Amino acid sequence: MTEEYGHINVASLPGMGRRSFLRLAGFSFAGAVLAGCQQGGVEKAIPHLVQPEESTPGSAVWYSTICAGCQAGCGILAKVRDGRPIKLEGNPGHPLSQGGMCAIGQASLLGLYDSLRLKAPLMKGAPSSWQELDRHVMAELDRIRRGKGAVRFLTGTVTSPATRAVIQRFLGSFADARHVEYDPMSCAAILDAHRLTHGARVLPRYHFAEASVITAFDADFLGNWISPVEFTKGYRAGRTPAGNPARFSFHAHFESRVSLTGSNADQRVCVSPDELQLCLEGMAAIIAERAGRTLGLSVRLPANLDNSVRRLADRLWNARGRGLVVCGVNTVRHQVLVNALNAMLDNYGGTVDIDTPSHQYAGNDAGVEDLLNELRRGSVEALFVSGANPVYDLPEGQALGEWMKKTPFVVSFSGEDDETAACARYVCPTPHFLEAWNDSEPVSGIVALAQPTIRSLRDSRQMIESLSVWSGDNAPALDLIRREWERTIRERHATSQTMDAFWNRTLADGYAVVRSASAPHHACDYDAVATVVTERGPTSVSIPPATGGVTASPGGPPPGFAGGRYTLLLHPSLTILDGRHGHNPWLHELPDPVTKIVWDNAASLSRKTAEALGVRHGDLIRIEANQKFLELPVHIQPGQHDAVVVVTLGYGRKGTDRFRDIGPEWLQSRPTVGSGETVGKNAALFGLIEAGCRTNRIDAARLIPTGGTHVLVTTQEYHSLREPNLFGGETGHRRPIVQETTLAAFANDPSAGSFHKEELDSLWPDDHKYAGHHWGMTIDLTACTGCSACVMACQAENNIPVVGKDEVRRNRELAWIRVDRYYDEARGEFSVSHQPMMCQHCGNAPCETVCPVLATVHSAEGLNQQIYNRCVGTRYCANNCPYKMRRFNWFEYRHGDEMQRMVLNPDVTVRERGVMEKCSFCIQRIQGAKIRAKREGRPLNDGDAQPACAQSCPARAIIFGDVNDPSSEISKTLSSPRHYRVLEELGVRPSVGYLTLVRNREEQAGEADHA
Amino acid sequence: MHDVVTGEKVFDASAGRAVPPQPGLRKPVILGNKTYRDVTSDICSQLDQKASLSWWAAFLVSLTVLAVGALSVGYQVLTGVGVWGLNNTVGWAFDITNFVFWIGIGHAGTLISAILFLFRQKWRTSVNRSAEAMTIFAVICAGIFPIIHTGRPWLAFWLLPYPNFRGPLWVNFRSPLVWDMFAISCYFTISAVFWFVGLIPDFATLRDRTAPGIRKRIYAFLSLGWNGSNRTWHRYEKVYLLLAGLATPLVISVHTIVSWDFATSVIPGWHTTILPPYFVAGAVFSGFAMVLTLMLIVRRVMRLEEYITPHHIEQMCTIILATGGMVALAYATELFVAYYSGNPYERFAFVNRALGPYAWTYWIMISCNVLVPQFFWFKRVRANVAAVFALSIFINIGMWFERYVIIMTSLTRDYIPAGWSGFTPTLVDLGTLVGSFGLFFTLFLLFARFLPMVAIGEVKGVLRYGRSVNGGA
Repeated sequence: MTEEYGHINVASLPGMGRRSFLRLAGFSFAGAVLAGCQQGGVEKAIPHLVQPEESTPGSAVWYSTICAGCQAGCGILAKVRDGRPIKLEGNPGHPLSQGGMCAIGQASLLGLYDSLRLKAPLMKGAPSSWQELDRHVMAELDRIRRGKGAVRFLTGTVTSPATRAVIQRFLGSFADARHVEYDPMSCAAILDAHRLTHGARVLPRYHFAEASVITAFDADFLGNWISPVEFTKGYRAGRTPAGNPARFSFHAHFESRVSLTGSNADQRVCVSPDELQLCLEGMAAIIAERAGRTLGLSVRLPANLDNSVRRLADRLWNARGRGLVVCGVNTVRHQVLVNALNAMLDNYGGTVDIDTPSHQYAGNDAGVEDLLNELRRGSVEALFVSGANPVYDLPEGQALGEWMKKTPFVVSFSGEDDETAACARYVCPTPHFLEAWNDSEPVSGIVALAQPTIRSLRDSRQMIESLSVWSGDNAPALDLIRREWERTIRERHATSQTMDAFWNRTLADGYAVVRSASAPHHACDYDAVATVVTERGPTSVSIPPATGGVTASPGGPPPGFAGGRYTLLLHPSLTILDGRHGHNPWLHELPDPVTKIVWDNAASLSRKTAEALGVRHGDLIRIEANQKFLELPVHIQPGQHDAVVVVTLGYGRKGTDRFRDIGPEWLQSRPTVGSGETVGKNAALFGLIEAGCRTNRIDAARLIPTGGTHVLVTTQEYHSLREPNLFGGETGHRRPIVQETTLAAFANDPSAGSFHKEELDSLWPDDHKYAGHHWGMTIDLTACTGCSACVMACQAENNIPVVGKDEVRRNRELAWIRVDRYYDEARGEFSVSHQPMMCQHCGNAPCETVCPVLATVHSAEGLNQQIYNRCVGTRYCANNCPYKMRRFNWFEYRHGDEMQRMVLNPDVTVRERGVMEKCSFCIQRIQGAKIRAKREGRPLNDGDAQPACAQSCPARAIIFGDVNDPSSEISKTLSSPRHYRVLEELGVRPSVGYLTLVRNREEQAGEADHA
Repeated sequence: MHDVVTGEKVFDASAGRAVPPQPGLRKPVILGNKTYRDVTSDICSQLDQKASLSWWAAFLVSLTVLAVGALSVGYQVLTGVGVWGLNNTVGWAFDITNFVFWIGIGHAGTLISAILFLFRQKWRTSVNRSAEAMTIFAVICAGIFPIIHTGRPWLAFWLLPYPNFRGPLWVNFRSPLVWDMFAISCYFTISAVFWFVGLIPDFATLRDRTAPGIRKRIYAFLSLGWNGSNRTWHRYEKVYLLLAGLATPLVISVHTIVSWDFATSVIPGWHTTILPPYFVAGAVFSGFAMVLTLMLIVRRVMRLEEYITPHHIEQMCTIILATGGMVALAYATELFVAYYSGNPYERFAFVNRALGPYAWTYWIMISCNVLVPQFFWFKRVRANVAAVFALSIFINIGMWFERYVIIMTSLTRDYIPAGWSGFTPTLVDLGTLVGSFGLFFTLFLLFARFLPMVAIGEVKGVLRYGRSVNGGA
């Protein structure tokens, strides 16, 4: 046959004459011309000519590296697919994060694809080239070296040994040079206090797992304080209501605002900042009395708090060596008292570790203050700024910007054209951390390596490379780091591996444990404590305790003290931190885990204060303090102290009006941010550097309602599990959506608090046999802190678009998982519960029966599947979902710009408008795991298939697995007496279950140990 | 020509005096001592004349409103359902409210034409043609919403079970939306056929009156060769009776099935067995209110006061009073069941309706649907055309709100408090709602222009009701 066809020629075809041939040829030509007229996209798709060894199109590779979302230095794995990093996941082996990863870290991936990253070096604001810039800079540096001018190098905390060494070496070539480290989220007082009490300026490593009594004074250690993922891991490990007696720490929390950590506390004591100080002092005095020490303190506790502080002191005393006192107030006097407390309670060496201290925060506020003074005087010749944005985040930022412009030689190392870069003469673009080599030693003895996961998308150069070039060394970053490791790290490693082997091992693992190098220190010097206590006096206590009886309890007097003056408290955002992620739309749309506000910061007031001021949610108030003012919308925060106004830092970043049109545009859409405005307002200007420490507490703030309003958007509109009592009166019926109990009740009856246990008879035949796998999920509400890492994991994994503020206002956010946060204010108490909620994959799914086109169906493995291309979008399924966890594509939502679309996960369909979507239990991961197991010829093991939320959860609160496998972790949770299913009584048979929330509560417990 | 009811006496303009009603006779259905010729000319003359200024004015207004609706729908189809005020929690609001509202409106037409026909309620003859037209137009209005409410309306045909190459992939026969699709298409088909069959003798009359031309040819075609013989009448009446029999169950079934959209769900406030009878009663209630609204206008504008008499108005008011009572009973039963069930979610759903953030919608519903019909107990109100007109408008509003309350407030606050939300309509929502009225009135005005508003053939059959023997028999 083939041969025959091969010999066919036109002339021999029967009936094909000259004219027919011409006719055909004419038609063909015309056809070709017409086809050519079509405007087809010219696309060049060139596959790898030489396939890189480890790269297979369509399959992902994971590279271990270090997260740079904050300084905590968690170990992560970057999932690279077809050359693009598309997801960051926790490195399960890393000793700090142990596989957990917070929302911020995960979202920092998007920064890689930010189209506003600097494309080229800038010289005096104009684009330039590296050669040009290097020529200029080196000439200037020569001039400065000759003139012995003052050189200052301002950075954030440097946890990288190599970077530190390179900076030191570079500065060594100047006569007058100093490296200044600072942290906008400063912990300097803790370090300074340890210098005073222990003789070493160190930040301890806190072991929450070892603590049985945790007392925190405004330290948001589950939120964003120092190392939240590590702390969450530890906190979770110390709180499991299993075993007899259960190892379950008691957590007391003193605070004025409502922090994420406070919302998880067993006992949350709402105090004013002054009362907080009195409580800390009182506790120190009580413990000192017991320990036989003198700190020069007398116990003077506010009457309403006396009892709780004394009881807590008892608890701490009884748990000596297993207690932990932490304080987030950046004042040396506070921190010195905390050190004394931990020392008197024998916690050093146990829960507080300064032998292998943390390097995560090394900033020195006094150093910054000195630098600012030098800059003000104009005595600095050259200033380098790297990994910091002081013009934005320092209280005197604006002035600093002016001083910087007057400073002769200013270099900014920055990935973006931020506020500081705008004031610098030379701007050197630095790569995103996923494009760079790096190393770190976040905690003494734990070293880690970061490797590039993609070739730099911009013409950027790492800061250490630039310094190397300017020193005439010209070494690439890899060499600089490797050299440093050969010099200092290798020798601290225990094994006798070759450098190559050690390096490669570390690179593959992402970390190595080496001998720790700690600063010499001594035991707590109580005299130093007494000196600080007396010398620094209670200066900031502006309200005598006699009149400080202002509490959040409903019976307290209304605010109006001190002429309507309030205390302004600033705290870094739980989503964009100090503003460093202010250009990350994923984080802007991630609801704040406590307030649930998106795309804004606000002035949080207690309900009573708001009533006294006559303002409501979204009304604008003018905050005046320090001769500065800011207008912010009011957010009413239950559980907050009446005497404070709380403002989130990190907002108001320059250039955030880029998010104006991030959402869909239509007739009645409103921009996410007004033209020329910013997302939120920058409250850093209120901050102060007092006594060498940056404080976020500003007294005597005036609040003046302006009469204006602002659209302040939260993802949750009703905040209680109790129905509003519409007939009037206190509270309504409490819905058993979150089932909770106390530890004491749990000890008596493990099923306490969980009900709806009876198996309901069903008229329906058992349709689903689940012969193979049967996927299920259990969420441990005791473990869940509400941190929202799962929400971000889902967003990154499942290509959830950002919809903009207006769409969120219209309650159209697309997140497949949300963390419901409920306040309970019954009986004058305040407690908070967090509940992750997603599609419950019901066995008798109400959505499935009502879909007219069978676009949502039940799989043989128990998944409720949404078939996007079959969906016509009646939304009947969403209406009939009792959990309201179905999400509709109201518009064609944009998935960022062309750059940002590179982050999309190719394994997950990008949904078009008009279709319904929802949690899929990450079916792409389940299928991937099954394929892997099949290829490897083994059965699927428990834990092989992990949805993104479960994988990232720092608290391991989400357990996923095969219910049909009796040995799986999920099967064990199913038999737990704490297990319940939300709305079980509807008979929808959800596949997701919850474990009751157990609180280590005193009052209902009836324990005798602290009477 | 101009008769007015004065007390119990009928003022006969042609006789120039008030004549007492004949004892032992029913009230006349048609006033004015019409002859057959009068009837034909009265009704048909409307179609012969040029359209009046008021018709044109009304038509232009309707057309404009229709254009607003068309623009709204076009914009929505091009842009996305997001241009409505819906959200993750409230997946239906104006769209399905309008759908149920219009379907409900249609029910009065079918009730009048089919059920009252079977019950030999001869007074229906004056209004059945218009009421049936109303049914068809209302079903057209209603039918648009299930299509446009989908996220991808161009795929709405997937709701129909048709042979296909996707497996074949069928619809989900367990979904009430599929039942809806059947119920409504069935309803529309039967109503249209019923209406057309009823029109055949009148088409023939028009054909015979019309001068040769295109119009005559159309009427001739539509009259299907009607020749007025005994045989045609005989066949006609048989078919009409059969169709009435077919249409009768639809009055019950269509709204029952529509109510299943809600009753079969799990949402508190929707999931209740009372919904089918409640919806049917509500449909008839709202339908009659709409018939009254329309008839009172038509009667005045088209000068049909002798055909649509105070007697008709009174009859319809009585039906409204009865069905209004049923609706009120349903409201009360719902509240009682919610209380008595002991189901806290159910209980809250109803408390929330009455006292929650959307309580105003609930109280509009109660005022319009429970309080307003109570005026119809008074004969003076029933006899006052202006009052009846005003009250009928209130009932229309109330019944729209009834569906809005059921659909919207139930969704806003269901099981998980963190998911609670609200609903605010957008301009496009409002545009689509008024647009559906534009479509309805445009169609109705066209109907008034081109087809006889009163069934000529049927009215002639009841002409002698209430007249003395010498008036005919």
